[in-house]
Amino acid sequence: MMALRRHPLPAGQELFVNAAGRFFLASQAARKRIDSSALLETDRDFLQLQGHVLEPGDTLGHLARGYAEARRAVVSPQLDYLILVPTLRCDLSCSYCQVSRVAATQPGYDWSEDTVEAVLRLLDMLATPQIKIEFQGGEPTLRPDLLRRVIARCARFEQREFVICTNLQRLDDEIIALLDHPDVFISTSLDGGPDVHARNRTGSAAATVRFFGNLAAVVARYGPKKIAALPTIDPAALPDIDALIESHARHGFESIFLRPINFQGFARKRHRAVREQDDDWRAYYERFVRRLIARNWQDRSRVLEEAYLSIALRRIFRPGTERHVDLRSPNPLGIDYIVIDHDGVVYPTDEARMLARAGVIDLAIGTVAGGWDSPARDVLNQHSSNSDDPACQRCAFQPFCGRDLVDDIARYGRIDLPRHDTAFCRRHMHLFGFVFQLLYDEDEAVRYSLARWLRLPGAMAPTLDYLA
Amino acid sequence: MIPLRLRGRAEATAPYVVRLSTARDVAPGPGAARLVTEDDEGVAFSSANGLLAIDGVCAAMLDGDVVLVDPQRQWVERLLRAGSQHNTLVVTERCDQLCVMCSQPPKKTHVDRFALLEEACLLAAPDLLIGISGGEPTLFKEELLAMVERVLGVRPDLSFHILSNAQHFTEQDIPRLAAPAFRRVSWGIPIYAATAGLHDAIVVKDGAFTALQKGLAALLVAGARVELRTVVVKDNLAALPELARFVAVRLQFVEAWSLMQLEHVGFAKGRWDNLFADHRAAFAPLAEAIDYAILHGVRAQLFNFPRCTVPAAYRSLARASISDWKRKFPNRCAPCREQAQCGGFFAWHPDDQASQMVQPL
Repeated sequence: MMALRRHPLPAGQELFVNAAGRFFLASQAARKRIDSSALLETDRDFLQLQGHVLEPGDTLGHLARGYAEARRAVVSPQLDYLILVPTLRCDLSCSYCQVSRVAATQPGYDWSEDTVEAVLRLLDMLATPQIKIEFQGGEPTLRPDLLRRVIARCARFEQREFVICTNLQRLDDEIIALLDHPDVFISTSLDGGPDVHARNRTGSAAATVRFFGNLAAVVARYGPKKIAALPTIDPAALPDIDALIESHARHGFESIFLRPINFQGFARKRHRAVREQDDDWRAYYERFVRRLIARNWQDRSRVLEEAYLSIALRRIFRPGTERHVDLRSPNPLGIDYIVIDHDGVVYPTDEARMLARAGVIDLAIGTVAGGWDSPARDVLNQHSSNSDDPACQRCAFQPFCGRDLVDDIARYGRIDLPRHDTAFCRRHMHLFGFVFQLLYDEDEAVRYSLARWLRLPGAMAPTLDYLA
Repeated sequence: MIPLRLRGRAEATAPYVVRLSTARDVAPGPGAARLVTEDDEGVAFSSANGLLAIDGVCAAMLDGDVVLVDPQRQWVERLLRAGSQHNTLVVTERCDQLCVMCSQPPKKTHVDRFALLEEACLLAAPDLLIGISGGEPTLFKEELLAMVERVLGVRPDLSFHILSNAQHFTEQDIPRLAAPAFRRVSWGIPIYAATAGLHDAIVVKDGAFTALQKGLAALLVAGARVELRTVVVKDNLAALPELARFVAVRLQFVEAWSLMQLEHVGFAKGRWDNLFADHRAAFAPLAEAIDYAILHGVRAQLFNFPRCTVPAAYRSLARASISDWKRKFPNRCAPCREQAQCGGFFAWHPDDQASQMVQPL
């Protein structure tokens, strides 16, 4: 029998997981049989079918095990995802702005012509058939000319995806012409109803009205699928759950990413309390997900999801299909995606850019003109996998979990804290513990939502592995 | 049903392969046959091999077809039909399994046609996917692999789908199968159960399951593209959820897992009542197997399941899998809105049974 990591679940049951992420739930009785090496013939058959018992000479079984582990560790070696900051200027000043933005009129915070040329040359050199570009800011729609030049230069790629992260303050003919492009998607922030949104973001009634008017206009023009609206939640002022859900569902947005304020940028100064997520937040998160489950069960015409939970589910069951870069391991920096800032400096992640802006630590790895195959990048990448961490090696959730060096640096100024003492670990221990509780929940409403979130044609009910 | 074999007379004495063309300006050369006459009787083509007369057809129907002419038997076999995505070359009729439901029961004799089939491949239309079947093609593994390598060397635009029981791949084959050319080859491999007892009983060969796992291991290491195929019969229906676990745990590398309903021909015709598992009455094991596979990222699909006989939630997995030349729809299907996406029935399926099964959507 191969090594298994364990995680206790309610009623004396225990989750067993191998290094490849194959798992089963054992009843209290089964757990005792495993612990006392008193396996029944049927236990043995079960464990063998699941790949937890490998006979010598079982070539296919050993290969499959290696394949499954390798599949979890594969990261594209090819740069095909760029986060571009054509300008740092912004016409709003949100309370938790995640970068130190500058005023809309301030000169010297846009790409120089040299930087533009270097970005375009980089696009020409990429050996990938597919490209994803996220325009961040600042407010990228202040420079539609730069967006157009980048998009035009990507015509040669077989698959293109452009995401414009915008505050939707401006929606004139020029911006609409950009958004009309079928490969262009819109990402915006939607914290709730007008009062919440005004308090957190727009500041003025006029800007709030403009935002909701433009949001309605893009939904009407393109449908909700082209638009992602992300709420940012202040854990010190948790919004009413149904009101939050309704503020998204009303526009047809079915995927809600319940994000607490990121401990970055201005948030470090203005929202000091958010450095750690506490039990209140975790309880709120569970209530939110359970409310989605109840609503999905009541109204079968649509399926609402919490986006990060769905990412976790895909990490559990379908390694390799999920490219969310905030939850993966190994999590190499500066390899398959980079951030190019307004001054042409290259950062490994958007959070790293914010840390540099906030003056916490300079995690720049190079420049777009000069390259970023640098010693700084190599140092980061020596520590970018959770499989080398002694605490993670014992953790049942390690195969599904990630590693976020930049988050550790942002919160603690170091990356060598015992894993359990980090917010990243606590957040994900809770998340995966909660997910597995849901996965083995016998309530039909829970099973219904899980099956929809996992895009199953049928039901979740009989499908998960259980050793009685 | 579209006829695949026509009556024809040829001047030549030895078998040959040509591509038929109705165009006047077709360049004369090896492999090119140009239309010379067409009348009520039929058509005549000329090529470097001399005249070829085919009775009872019109030229337009054959334009672009690559055919094998057998002057002795007076056959014209349409190997690669123009515009069809369903072309299969039978490389041998021998097999070392005797599957209980076999649709093309094997024969003891083998006629070596590799050279002619290779010529046919070289004449194929651009970008064609060519099916290879048997019998068991890998009983002539050296000839088969050499043919595929030579064809893809000259015609890198083509690709192959080869049906094989994977009993004969060894470690020695791995470097060869790992060559870049084999990215254009996918293997359709039958697996009927997760245990040796049941699998071996269905393929009627002791040790088949062990050999299959060895073969699949070699294909995994070679990075081969594999589609698993499971014909559903009474004996393995209840064991499908177990097979789904086997696939998700041990065969995660496959591109697809096709669950196939029985074909009313060959051995299955005489054994229908013992073999046919009516999925309309017992879809639960199929549903569980499919959900488990999809949950774990294995692309499960249904072949030879008329769409209306599948529960709505699983209908999108029912592919139009039956080749155009052997597909039919009972009259009752006429008003159905989903016929275009449906595979219908095999031409040899009894009409009364087919008619009883369907419920137009």
